[in-house]
Amino acid sequence: MDEEEQNKLIDLVKELVHRLLSQSPQSQQNPQNPNFENSFRYALRILSSRLTPSIAPDAAAIAESVKRRLATQGKSSDALSFADLFAKFSSKTGPGSVNNKWAVIYLLKIISEDRKSAKNVVNSSTLLPNLGVHELESKNDSRVLNGKEDKQLGWRQNGVLLVNKDPENLRDVAFREFVNLVKEENEVSEEVLVRDVLYCCQGIDGKYVKFNTMVDGYCLSDLVKVPRATRVMVRKLCELGWLFWKVRGYISESMDRFPAEDVGTVGQAFCAALQDELLEYYKLLAVLEAQAMNPIPLVSESAGSGNYLSLRRLSVWFAEPMVKMRLMAVLVDKCRVLRGGAMAGAIHLHAQHGDLLVHEFMKRLLRRVCSPLFEMVRSWVLEGELEDIFAEFFVVGHPVKAESLWRDGYRLHSGMLPSFISQSLAQRILRTGKSINFLRVCCDDRGWADAATEAATAAGTSTRRGSLGYGETDALETLVIEAAKRIDKHLLDVIYKRYKFREHCLAIKRYLLLGQGDFVQYLMDIVGPELSEPANTISSFKLAGLLESAIRSSNAQYDDPDILDRLRVKLMPHGTGDRGWDVFSLEYDARVPLDTLFTESVMARYLKIFNFLWKLRRVEHALIGAWKAMKPNCITSNSFTKLQHAVKLQLLSTLRRCQVLWDEMNHFVTNLQYYIMFEVLEVSWSNFSNEMEAAKDLDDLLAAHEKYLHSIFEKSLLGERSQSLFKSLFVLFDLILRFRSHADRLYEGIRELQARTMESSLSSRDKKKSLRQTNDMHTKPGSWLSDGRKALTQRAGEFLRNMEQELDATANEYTSLLEGFLAQLPVQQHVDLKFLLFRLDFTEFYTRLRPSV
Amino acid sequence: MDPEAARTARESLDLAFHMSNILDTGLDRHTLSVLIALCDLGVNPEALAAVVKELQREPSPSPPMSTAPSSIP
Repeated sequence: MDEEEQNKLIDLVKELVHRLLSQSPQSQQNPQNPNFENSFRYALRILSSRLTPSIAPDAAAIAESVKRRLATQGKSSDALSFADLFAKFSSKTGPGSVNNKWAVIYLLKIISEDRKSAKNVVNSSTLLPNLGVHELESKNDSRVLNGKEDKQLGWRQNGVLLVNKDPENLRDVAFREFVNLVKEENEVSEEVLVRDVLYCCQGIDGKYVKFNTMVDGYCLSDLVKVPRATRVMVRKLCELGWLFWKVRGYISESMDRFPAEDVGTVGQAFCAALQDELLEYYKLLAVLEAQAMNPIPLVSESAGSGNYLSLRRLSVWFAEPMVKMRLMAVLVDKCRVLRGGAMAGAIHLHAQHGDLLVHEFMKRLLRRVCSPLFEMVRSWVLEGELEDIFAEFFVVGHPVKAESLWRDGYRLHSGMLPSFISQSLAQRILRTGKSINFLRVCCDDRGWADAATEAATAAGTSTRRGSLGYGETDALETLVIEAAKRIDKHLLDVIYKRYKFREHCLAIKRYLLLGQGDFVQYLMDIVGPELSEPANTISSFKLAGLLESAIRSSNAQYDDPDILDRLRVKLMPHGTGDRGWDVFSLEYDARVPLDTLFTESVMARYLKIFNFLWKLRRVEHALIGAWKAMKPNCITSNSFTKLQHAVKLQLLSTLRRCQVLWDEMNHFVTNLQYYIMFEVLEVSWSNFSNEMEAAKDLDDLLAAHEKYLHSIFEKSLLGERSQSLFKSLFVLFDLILRFRSHADRLYEGIRELQARTMESSLSSRDKKKSLRQTNDMHTKPGSWLSDGRKALTQRAGEFLRNMEQELDATANEYTSLLEGFLAQLPVQQHVDLKFLLFRLDFTEFYTRLRPSV
Repeated sequence: MDPEAARTARESLDLAFHMSNILDTGLDRHTLSVLIALCDLGVNPEALAAVVKELQREPSPSPPMSTAPSSIP
């Protein structure tokens, strides 16, 4: 701008100011007042402040907008004449015409609008004279923006129309909305997309972003044209919506299912925890939405567009919720079919994560999820209550009878055992609760409650609810260990002191395992004749009476009457031809709660041991009986002096034979008896006593008792592996019993023979006496009395021969059987059986007999 | 200035004055001619409109200087 033009401009402005001021009524009187100077400077300031117009210089467009506005204001004739004038005005070209036509038109338009708005608004606000200017500026700003957009879009009129904020002009408002609509159809602004994404993240379909069942996810509809990058980003952001939808679906499904099906407390806790997490998520969404609605201008003017929340910002905001939501969705997927402890375990598997965020989140979640589980553990360990309506706990109770409560009443359900509780801890938990229940049901004991309280205080947690949580496995372990220690101790106290387990075991050992010698001896004596009868003629009542008298006449009478009360006679089911010996047995009645220890199977094994020992005793008894019969043989040898030499020799050899055989058998039986009594029963008992002292809980005790029984069973050759040995032993026993009857017959015969020879020797001296004796003898059938001396000798020889033969046969059989038995003995695994062998073959007699072995 | 050009200029001014009247700008013929001249000099019409608006409202007793600075960003 050169000097001349500048001067011209100044002059023109001065003129303009002058003209304008002269119009106003007050300043008309004094045109040269200082007001003029001020106004002029003000005008120059305004002009210099804005050098470029804010819209594109397009006269036609401006004129069009003016025409429309006039038309909408109802001045259609004005509009027409304006259009006419404008056509003429714009057609004026060449020298002398106005160059900046658009500027003139635009100027007129603005002045006209200003006047109108001044009439409507400014009149009421005279205190704010510059409001108009301010308004204009803001309008200008928006005009700049819109003008630029218009250029891009090719909607020329918009720029001008949008400026109009006339509240009267409803059409304009509507039109603006229409323009927005058209714009959106073509191309979606980011603002709208953000809003849609926010909707999707709440599981609601947006305007453009909708759930697509084909791809199973939210995505932008294909009709909308957006850059590929935006589309991908929207898709990524909407994953959150998909995940949210999934999690919420699970929660509502579970909650709907709840009354009808058993979701379980753990499932409910899980849902509640998820719900809380979703609440956090809702809060975030609400904040984001508020932010999206309230555009916050940024510091830099250039980027100061309205949409504060862009897709990129959203993706940053969503980063953390996305991680959480993804985790939740994974958990929901995993837990859909799981319940209770299994669910907690599955969730726990996800908690082992290096990411601190995930770790914290999972911990919070698990704390909620596991709380019912831990509560169950607590009440189970401290109160023995199985509060598990939905079968979620890893301890399962079965309704059983009292005696099998300990063994079968409660089981570990490994499927429900969460992995953060170790197997050993679970076992301990199971046993502690079981102990409490055992005490309560079987022992009728109340003392455990004190033990439980004591344990709780010792572990540092009170007995109130909810004091344990996930992540405090140590605390749980301490609690369980403390509780287990005290309750087990209490249980053992009850079993030992109140129910006298030890005394009962001792009683069983004494009576059932024949440890009480005098009692057994006496019982054997008085029951023996009765038991020789066939089994079906024996009365158990009579036997019970005999048992009673055996107790009364032995030291057993000083025993506890409670224990003696439990001792019974039992007759086993018998077959044809069974003798009383085969069916007789003693029984010990273990009542509740000891029947947990002395179960039926245990008692059956005791019975088996008893039968074996009883047989051994019987054999021993029989041999002693034989010994009694044999004892007076010194007399016999003297009394046979009158016999023939051959017969005498025969007699002596037979007797000798019998003695030797008896001795051999006695050696065997005595040693076996010794072995059973001292090597087996007493040693096992001693071990058992020690273990009983050391037992920490009922399981230990059961194991010790089991071990005790097992060792007796195995060492007494009753086990599975020594079946054949046991059989040959029984054959031996039978043979010995047979020998006893032989020996009895032999000695009976000898005594009779002795009587005969005595009589025959006496007959010459004392006829009378012999006659009386003869008469006496006459009553017996098959007597030798009527025969002469020769016949007597003959018969004696025959008898002795027979007996000798039988003895020989018995001896041979015995030798071979014993040999077989001894040969089998070293094959056995038991170390203790070696002692038996050593004892039986102490002099190496049998080894030398069979040099081959 | 040749008569042809003068005629064109007058006619243009007439037309502009007519339009100004239709639009109810309240400008007289002389002022309008000054404004057109200013426009021809390339002055921003928005600024001109602002000057017109400010000065037409001048009758208020408060001096424009006191408020002017605050009104300009």
